[in-house]
Amino acid sequence: MAQGRKGKLNYRCPRCLMREIDMDMLFDSEKGEYYCLRCSFVGPESEVQRLNAQFRAKYLDRAVRITGF
Amino acid sequence: MTTFYLTVIHRPEMVPEYLQKEAEEGKAEDLGRNEVIRESLDIFRTQQRIAHDNGIRTTIQMTYASLFNDEAVALAREHHATYGDEIGSTFLGIQCAQFREKFHSKELAIWLFSMEDKRLIVDEVFGKFEEVFGFLPTSTGSYYMDAELVNYIKEQYPQVKAAVATCWEEGPKAYHNANNSWYTLLDGGPWNPWIPSKRNIHCPAADEADDIGIVAIPHLSRDLMAVFDGPGSYYGTHPQNILRGMVYEDREVPYFMNLVDQYRAMAKYNRGYAYNMMFVGPGWMSKTGRWEADYDFLLKSYEDGMAYYGRLKREGLAVDLTMSEFADAYRADRPYTRPECTLWKDVLYGSKRQQFWFADPWMRFCLDMNLGGAMIDLRPYAAKLIRPCGVGTAHIQDASYPFIIQSMYRAGYFTHYAGEGAVKSCKFGHAGEEVDLCACRTHASFSEEGDVRVVTLDPVEVEFEKFTIRVQSTFRLTEGTGEVEIVRRILGTTDPAAEVSIDEYATACYGTTEYPEDLTGVRLTLKGRSATESIDYAYRCREAYVEGVEVAEALVPQVDTRLSVRSDSADATGYLREGMAFSPMYTLGIKKTVKGVGELRTWLKVEKAS
Repeated sequence: MAQGRKGKLNYRCPRCLMREIDMDMLFDSEKGEYYCLRCSFVGPESEVQRLNAQFRAKYLDRAVRITGF
Repeated sequence: MTTFYLTVIHRPEMVPEYLQKEAEEGKAEDLGRNEVIRESLDIFRTQQRIAHDNGIRTTIQMTYASLFNDEAVALAREHHATYGDEIGSTFLGIQCAQFREKFHSKELAIWLFSMEDKRLIVDEVFGKFEEVFGFLPTSTGSYYMDAELVNYIKEQYPQVKAAVATCWEEGPKAYHNANNSWYTLLDGGPWNPWIPSKRNIHCPAADEADDIGIVAIPHLSRDLMAVFDGPGSYYGTHPQNILRGMVYEDREVPYFMNLVDQYRAMAKYNRGYAYNMMFVGPGWMSKTGRWEADYDFLLKSYEDGMAYYGRLKREGLAVDLTMSEFADAYRADRPYTRPECTLWKDVLYGSKRQQFWFADPWMRFCLDMNLGGAMIDLRPYAAKLIRPCGVGTAHIQDASYPFIIQSMYRAGYFTHYAGEGAVKSCKFGHAGEEVDLCACRTHASFSEEGDVRVVTLDPVEVEFEKFTIRVQSTFRLTEGTGEVEIVRRILGTTDPAAEVSIDEYATACYGTTEYPEDLTGVRLTLKGRSATESIDYAYRCREAYVEGVEVAEALVPQVDTRLSVRSDSADATGYLREGMAFSPMYTLGIKKTVKGVGELRTWLKVEKAS
């Protein structure tokens, strides 16, 4: 197994992020996948991005400009 | 007339912790790593340029390490001369080769050193600052500045008038968010600037004798709803915090402007005064990207944020002051007893939820309109607890100000099948049925009647099996009394003959974290016109009742606090409820029965017990 290293961006584990834990992942260059040192998440960059989009979905107003206070 | 003050702070941090971590991967620690210092200075220069391009003046908080860097010192001098930026000092970024050589410690948090070391470090940092610049700073800061530290600074360096003194609600939530490795356990302070007490930095000073001598500024202007129940480093007027929280879409971050505007709107609740601050360390704008965002996005978010500040300034809607200038402006119009109030609205989750926040020298509390106006946080500032932190003290890292109610840490209304959680609310009962206002979601409005701030909740319908009542809650806050007057009024009923009980209660505990504390030693007392009852807490589920009650109180020696509830009703019954080990809470209640319509008026008070 290759030594895990940081990826091109410091992707946090998307599963840990769901429970609001910022946990940087390591990247296995042989398998082309990220893995979490805490929760056993494993997946390619596309899966990380898919889950990150899911994380953002809870912010219903993330793209809304609110001015009435 | 409203004034929205803005404070932008930059620090030339030579070895920002995030940059250093990245540069170190696979290498041994090197505090003098040239590429890190180079990049950090570049980022500092970029941040300064963006602020100045938008017409915003800054406070440059020189780190100890930067005082040894000729380029950083020259930049600060130049920007002070050219733009009128203030040159201050910070206790962030103390770690560097010179610090290691002198203090032989890797500790990075000023508040965690022993008191003896704190004094030595203050003298060294301020001494070096004076040696470099030829004057002493008038502003300083860190993530946390304990009262003991600030008292020493004021004793030795009386010219200091402002400090970044806490990170709002950065406590167990921040610790968990950082994989239990970030020791900023600092919950319980005000969210906006305040004049701290000499005895505890979190508490606003009660009077001149209690005034610590600085104006404290919280580190970041945070989302009062999201950060109360989420990571502090996701939701505030810190663009890269927002990227960390991923509150964006297609590289646009309207949430930043929404937060700024909500802070601007605080003028409505605070006699025309409002405040906002931004304080981004260089490590957050790493050239290699951070928080799944590449450098271009990090930079864009900072540029967009500062551009919004610049626009507000150009339109005459914001006044940019340096930290020391702001301290003067704040003191010029701030009686000690004046509370800070905010009716906060959700700008994140699309829920329309509101929370009302209040802080004065007696208490800090939060009412949650999603829970019918229940009190979900209560900090007894009146106790002014002397609670030193750092090595050699009883608490070391736990610098939070204790709560006696905190519904997120101690369950609140909803518990898992047993026991009670910490919350203050009201129940309505009829013939064995009981409805808690926590189940009656509503909204609120704010008004003032002289020195009384009034939070009026929209009426809610309480449904019993055979009839319905219409109930309105009002909270009246008379400045300088340390009391919360609570009125529960039945405005109407579908059965005027039906009797309804109104049960105003507070279920409380004490602590600084999610975990229970020992309640042994707590004394619960009911005082009535003709009888008195007491319970010394022993986890035995005892209850006591007194008719014609005048006051129900809990003496909590662990936090030197007396919590009391009194009523002006001649026919009210008071009650006490002791908890058990599986539900380590105590409850104070006042209850009365009305026929048709009517009201119960009570006053909640927190006092120093000793």
